[in-house]
Amino acid sequence: MKRALLYLGLALGALVTIGPFLVMLSTSFTGQSYVLQLPPRLFPEHPTWSNYSDVFGLDNFARYFLNSVLVAAGHVVLVLLLGSMMGYAFAHFDFPGKRLFFGLILGALMVPGVVLIVPQFLVARDLHMLDSRIGLVLFYVATQLAFITFLLRGFFASVPRELAEAMEVDGAGAWRVYRSLMLPLARPALGTAAIFSFLFSWDEFAWALTIINDPGKRTLPIAIALFQGQHSTAWGVVFAASTVAVVPVLVIFVIFQRYLVAGLQAGALKG
Amino acid sequence: MRSHRLRAAVAATAAACLLATGCSGDSGSSGATGGTKTIEFWHAYNEAGPETKTLNEVVIPAFQKAHPDIKVKAVALPYDDLHQKLLTSAAGGTLPCLVRSDIIWVPELAKLGVLVPMDSQLADFEAIKNKVYPGPLETNKYNGKYYGVPLDTNTRVLMYNAKTLASVGVTAPPATFDDLRALAGKLKAAGKSMAFADNGTSGWNLLPWIWSAGGDMLSPDGTKASGYLNSAASVAGVQLLVDLYRDKQVPAIITGSQGGVETSQGLAQGTYATILDGPWMFPIFEKQFPDFKLQTAKVPAGPGGSISVVGGEDLVMTASCKQKQAAATFVEYMLSEEAQLAMAKVGQMPVLSTLGSQLTSVQSYYGIFAEQLRTARPRPPHPQYTKMEDILSTEVQKAFKGQQSVQAALDSAARQIDAIIAAG
Amino acid sequence: MTATMHDVRPVGTRPTGRARAARRRSAKQKTLTAYAFLLPGLALFVALMVWPMVQALRMSLYHWNILPGAVSEFIAGDNYSRALHDPVFWRGFVNSAAYALMTVPTQMALGLLVAVALNRKVAGRTGWRTLYYLPVVTSWVVVSLVFKYLFNTDAGAVNWLLGVHIDWLGNRWPALVALSALGVWKGVGWSMLVFLAALQQVPRSLLEAAEVDGAGPARRFWHVTLPQLRAAMAFVTVMLVIGGFNVFISVFLMTGGGPAHQTETLLSYLYNQAFTFLDFGYGSAIAYLVTMLIFGLSLVQMKLFRYGEEDQ
Repeated sequence: MKRALLYLGLALGALVTIGPFLVMLSTSFTGQSYVLQLPPRLFPEHPTWSNYSDVFGLDNFARYFLNSVLVAAGHVVLVLLLGSMMGYAFAHFDFPGKRLFFGLILGALMVPGVVLIVPQFLVARDLHMLDSRIGLVLFYVATQLAFITFLLRGFFASVPRELAEAMEVDGAGAWRVYRSLMLPLARPALGTAAIFSFLFSWDEFAWALTIINDPGKRTLPIAIALFQGQHSTAWGVVFAASTVAVVPVLVIFVIFQRYLVAGLQAGALKG
Repeated sequence: MRSHRLRAAVAATAAACLLATGCSGDSGSSGATGGTKTIEFWHAYNEAGPETKTLNEVVIPAFQKAHPDIKVKAVALPYDDLHQKLLTSAAGGTLPCLVRSDIIWVPELAKLGVLVPMDSQLADFEAIKNKVYPGPLETNKYNGKYYGVPLDTNTRVLMYNAKTLASVGVTAPPATFDDLRALAGKLKAAGKSMAFADNGTSGWNLLPWIWSAGGDMLSPDGTKASGYLNSAASVAGVQLLVDLYRDKQVPAIITGSQGGVETSQGLAQGTYATILDGPWMFPIFEKQFPDFKLQTAKVPAGPGGSISVVGGEDLVMTASCKQKQAAATFVEYMLSEEAQLAMAKVGQMPVLSTLGSQLTSVQSYYGIFAEQLRTARPRPPHPQYTKMEDILSTEVQKAFKGQQSVQAALDSAARQIDAIIAAG
Repeated sequence: MTATMHDVRPVGTRPTGRARAARRRSAKQKTLTAYAFLLPGLALFVALMVWPMVQALRMSLYHWNILPGAVSEFIAGDNYSRALHDPVFWRGFVNSAAYALMTVPTQMALGLLVAVALNRKVAGRTGWRTLYYLPVVTSWVVVSLVFKYLFNTDAGAVNWLLGVHIDWLGNRWPALVALSALGVWKGVGWSMLVFLAALQQVPRSLLEAAEVDGAGPARRFWHVTLPQLRAAMAFVTVMLVIGGFNVFISVFLMTGGGPAHQTETLLSYLYNQAFTFLDFGYGSAIAYLVTMLIFGLSLVQMKLFRYGEEDQ
């Protein structure tokens, strides 16, 4: 009896969680004349593929998708590399200024994203990084570096120093310790960091909206938002575009989700 | 180990892709590459209808065929985002060569100093000046110089759903304020549809009612709002809408709420009996609601007559444009009969006076717009128009919500607008 | 959070004479190595995060003219006092705070509830967990548009389900409720996952000992499990409050801060000031006020939770 209640509760919650996705999916197969009619229908009366052909026909969604992939790849690689190096340094070395630098990192964790957008816009202008994907990647890396460093430092700190010292006695330099000992050990934490940073980049909106002009450089979030601006009444098409953007992420997440839990247990909670 | 190397290689490729714009296939904004000059052109032609398609597949190819050394890179942006994008890019120094700007933004951009006067850029500005309608031309003027050329013009007329009217026994669209009130009374009794819908309280939305009621926004010389925007006649125009809204005969989207059914959707589905809109809507209705028969009439008349608002776009050139000559060539082409006619087919009303007589043979729906344009008026051209409009819109929305009377709203708006004008 | 910084001290035996000199040399070398590891990241971080922060401070003291090469007028604290006298700024503050108040406790309660449920022997636990987490990984842009559609006044699923006719996005408080509903829907999965991870680290022996002592499930949860979750609670609260004040995309896309700036939050107002009215100076002043607010709030919370002081 109690178990039945438990499952009932879980199922109810799941329904609320999934509902909006179903609405999105079903609307994406609904023709314009039938959108926003009452009562809402889960299965459209006259299902149609036309919204999807519109998405790929009207607009350059394949390009936006590629841009999102490129930016996310660049971001993940760079932020993991720099973040793991910094995390390692903070976890295993003593040096003057450590408290100051680490304080900066902690402080940055609390700065909301949009707050810095105004001055960053001017810095990007001076560095000629407006309207460029490099501008997206480098600012994403800078924004997330604090979080990733913090996450990985927590993990590295849990690796016994004796392991590293044993390698050093054998004549290994710090770089080798980092490359062949720390990184392989940190794989689960790196996995978590990779997922977080991928999602961040895939989702980021305000900065991309502000600096990207060239439609050839648009990433999916701004492409969809602008698309909705262009087709405000065409909800079917908007949700077809949204579905195209969301489904791959959900699939990737479902495949790699175990890393998230593992990583959270390994690093994030041990402040 | 091998997998490490593979991963490194993938990463390196991705990085290389990002660094060299090679993976994107296009070069930077405006620059000469191998003899071809590229000019970037931003516009808000819609994509819901066939406007952008016509520009990209008819107009630009025809131009490039005649000028093989010039490549036009057209960038479509949603109208609602274009203004902000222009200001942001002005700050960032990333404006394109040419912009199709709403007529009301030209003074603002000119004042920012990011435009070059068009009269100094075109080989024969006089010739163009002589072949376009004077009204649209004047929207380009700032401090005695023309900062652009008119590209298209339009106005709003009444669009109605005849079936909805018929459902309450009304056979003719409302021709006067009183007709509209009467229609609202009948629809309210029937309880299914609303009499009128609009999606905001900006000048574009309100001024037809204010002018038709006999009011105005600013004094004729444009130096004062008090005494005009808050005159009894102006108040009466806005009051009509507020009364209808209180009677649930105008939907909440007029207060800027984003949660309602859009005007066109509601009109086609019969929830709204009438709306005000422009000629570009015809192709959109045709595509999205093929079964709906769109019908038009003049804006309902008040004591001041049936007076609508002039809309339209100008073509402006930026100071940062590196290919001014090529850009000028394109500007001239956009004002050719060929280009104007091509865009006329999809709802963009031409600005060439020479085309006036053929308009209705291009699209029969232009008849009513030409008629309405005879009495239509422009919004006050002012560099701070966007800010004035924000004030007007905000104050009037409070009146809709019942937080203040229409008179108080317009008094307050007039006071704030006066301050803006005084500050220059 | 600072605890582990203290325990990073050189380990080893008490050095003597020559060994000490060698040690000093190697300490110096280690410092250099550490800097080498820090340098690339730190350089980027300073250039693109710290420096803009300094820039913003400077801008906030000017009537900043954004055009390249233009001269700006120094106005000292005027932008700040303008903000403090600006009703829309305060409305943005109240809206942001209300959003945080509505979303943070709800997300934590629901997240904890689901986590506790999933921490039991449940068939298909991974499946449930994945499912509840889906909204977290879905793009804010997409879900904002979906919720805008669901909260449509005349034909939205929400009004239809509730059998009401509320103009959700057209009025201040209903709009904040709609925005919060989205925030909670999107965020429950995240706190669920953190709590679940924490729950799994609660030592079984403690629970068993309590059971032997005759404590029922409720007592066990209240007196054994919950105290063990303190660190996780603190982490979640701090992050969610920051996230609450960070709300931007949903506001931008669902209401645009309107109607009549009624639903403006701190960040949407900041963004509009900067990029719609090109008032970068005022935007920067608001940015500083928001940052200080969030810093203060976070510090207070950490004090309250005594976060970082405990180490098992």
